[in-house]
Amino acid sequence: MKLNFNNRDPVYVQVIRHFKEQIATGLLEPGQEIPSRRELANQLKINPNTAQRAYKEMEEQGLIYTERNLPSRITKDEKVLSIVREELILQAVNSFVSSVQSINVPLEEVIELVRANYEQASEEVRGQDDRN
Amino acid sequence: MNRYIKLVNFEMNRIAKLYVVLLAVTFVSQVVGVIYFSKHFLKQVNEAMTGNPQNRQEVIESMSPLSFDQVTETLLFVGPILISITAVAFYIFIIWYRDWLGKNTFVYRLLMLPTARINVFFAKLTTILLMTFGLVAFQLMLLPFEMKIMQWIVPKDLRIDASINAVLDRFVELRIIFPESFIEFILHYGLGTIIVAIVFTFILFERSFRWKGIIFGFVYGFIAFMLLFSPVLLNELVLNSYLYPSEIVLLEVVAGIIVMACTVWMSHYLLTKKIRV
Amino acid sequence: MIEIKDVKKNFGRKKVLKGVSFTAEKGEITCLIGINGVGKTTILNAITALTPIQSGEILIDGEKLHKGSYEKIMFIPDAITMLPSMRIADAMEFMNDFYDCWNEARAKELLQFFKLKESDRISDLSKGNTAKVNLLLGLALDVDYLLMDEPFSGIDIFSREQIADVFTSHLIEERGVIITTHEINDIEHLIDKVVLIDEGVVLKEFRTEEIRENEGKSVVDVMREVYQK
Repeated sequence: MKLNFNNRDPVYVQVIRHFKEQIATGLLEPGQEIPSRRELANQLKINPNTAQRAYKEMEEQGLIYTERNLPSRITKDEKVLSIVREELILQAVNSFVSSVQSINVPLEEVIELVRANYEQASEEVRGQDDRN
Repeated sequence: MNRYIKLVNFEMNRIAKLYVVLLAVTFVSQVVGVIYFSKHFLKQVNEAMTGNPQNRQEVIESMSPLSFDQVTETLLFVGPILISITAVAFYIFIIWYRDWLGKNTFVYRLLMLPTARINVFFAKLTTILLMTFGLVAFQLMLLPFEMKIMQWIVPKDLRIDASINAVLDRFVELRIIFPESFIEFILHYGLGTIIVAIVFTFILFERSFRWKGIIFGFVYGFIAFMLLFSPVLLNELVLNSYLYPSEIVLLEVVAGIIVMACTVWMSHYLLTKKIRV
Repeated sequence: MIEIKDVKKNFGRKKVLKGVSFTAEKGEITCLIGINGVGKTTILNAITALTPIQSGEILIDGEKLHKGSYEKIMFIPDAITMLPSMRIADAMEFMNDFYDCWNEARAKELLQFFKLKESDRISDLSKGNTAKVNLLLGLALDVDYLLMDEPFSGIDIFSREQIADVFTSHLIEERGVIITTHEINDIEHLIDKVVLIDEGVVLKEFRTEEIRENEGKSVVDVMREVYQK
């Protein structure tokens, strides 16, 4: 697991985003154990203090929880999980909208294109899955 | 203390190879010298007897018999001693400079050891002393062995057997290295140790201040030597030999202790406050 | 905490440090960056009393450096610091002999981590492996502070990656690390704090996450601003 961090956003923010993406896509399941801060630092090649900071923020946001001295786990709270999903979708849509707006395309045209593109991409993914 | 002994051990290991070479050269050269010189002497005797084998007694009387101190005057015998003295003299400098110069920078390690830095100084000083004593002891052990070799080769009526002391007595320079009494031993080697310590301090001046340090070092060395020999100098120049020799010796011992203490303190100061890698 | 307070140093007439002040915390990685060579190494030498300073003060956990401090702080220079004739095992034994805080188990772990062979002679090592041995000899000490001079310079990319891995691993533990570099790219995400130095003065001292969070700048952005002013 090697992330490509950008150099201008705080690394801990990027780590949290990375976790949210994995939660939203189901790569990390509710209740799943997550690496210790030292393991995470090692896996992502980041400063252990930064990993600590990211976990602390995630704990505060309710994304992860820690029981006694056990390893931390992904939350099972459905409400938090759906918020994460919504947040990610919203973020993606926002950035898409702002780039589309900047080239002045009418909404109808955009939606048509999105639908066609989305279906094609999904088919390709399915096709790849079949071959595998 | 413990780390000081470890440092001495470490420094000794570093010169082990050179040391073995010095001992081997001394051994080979002197033994070869004794054999060669003895055979050469026999050859001369035989030549004198040629044509007249009955004349052995006359020949013996006309030629002075061989004694061991003649052997000690040959180059093969004195050479290795000079080489050893030179090696030790050079090593007094090399033992420091090897840690700064060259590919490695071992001085970092030495200066960052969790022990007083003056222990590095003492360890190097001890190493020089041990090296010297070792060479001297080896030479002393070698002498009777070499005399035996001469006795094997040269028949009894052609040689004079002398004691080691008698041999050394006839060789003034060797007497400095192998003193007659324990007191002299302490005085000779005590003086030697102080001189090496002063040279070490000179080196530390140079290592601390580089070019300027050479000047400081010379000034320091000059003052130290003046102080060290002040009893003798005062007696000769000011007091018109007023003092007895035994009194001078006593004052010299006091002067030696003072100079040694100053040199150790100065080296300690340079090593902790002024030294650079 | 290591505190450097208004440290001044001259080499002859040349002023190398003109009143340098900064701090380095335990449990953090502080990076001294200078685009022009001089000064950085001198600071590390001064902290470990390997070179005298003209004025100023250096405190390690509130104390001036003394002989016992070397069980607490270690400097790893950018050069071979063991005798070339030694094997790695000899060098480790030397450290074990002299330091109470030598951790043999950690040393063995580091040998594996760096894929080094104990029987190899120091003189036969590649530049990368020499740097790794240097690091090993420092990291295997249970010291609180480690100073590393240019641990990434002049070695191959894989050795660089391996050394960078050390910083994110348990081998650093809760220690305070000061490293010098003139090249930030390899370690931008690894460091807590940056001290920018030029011409013997500290131009800026900042925490990397704070500068990203509050100003949206990368370390290189800040360097560009500071050095090209």
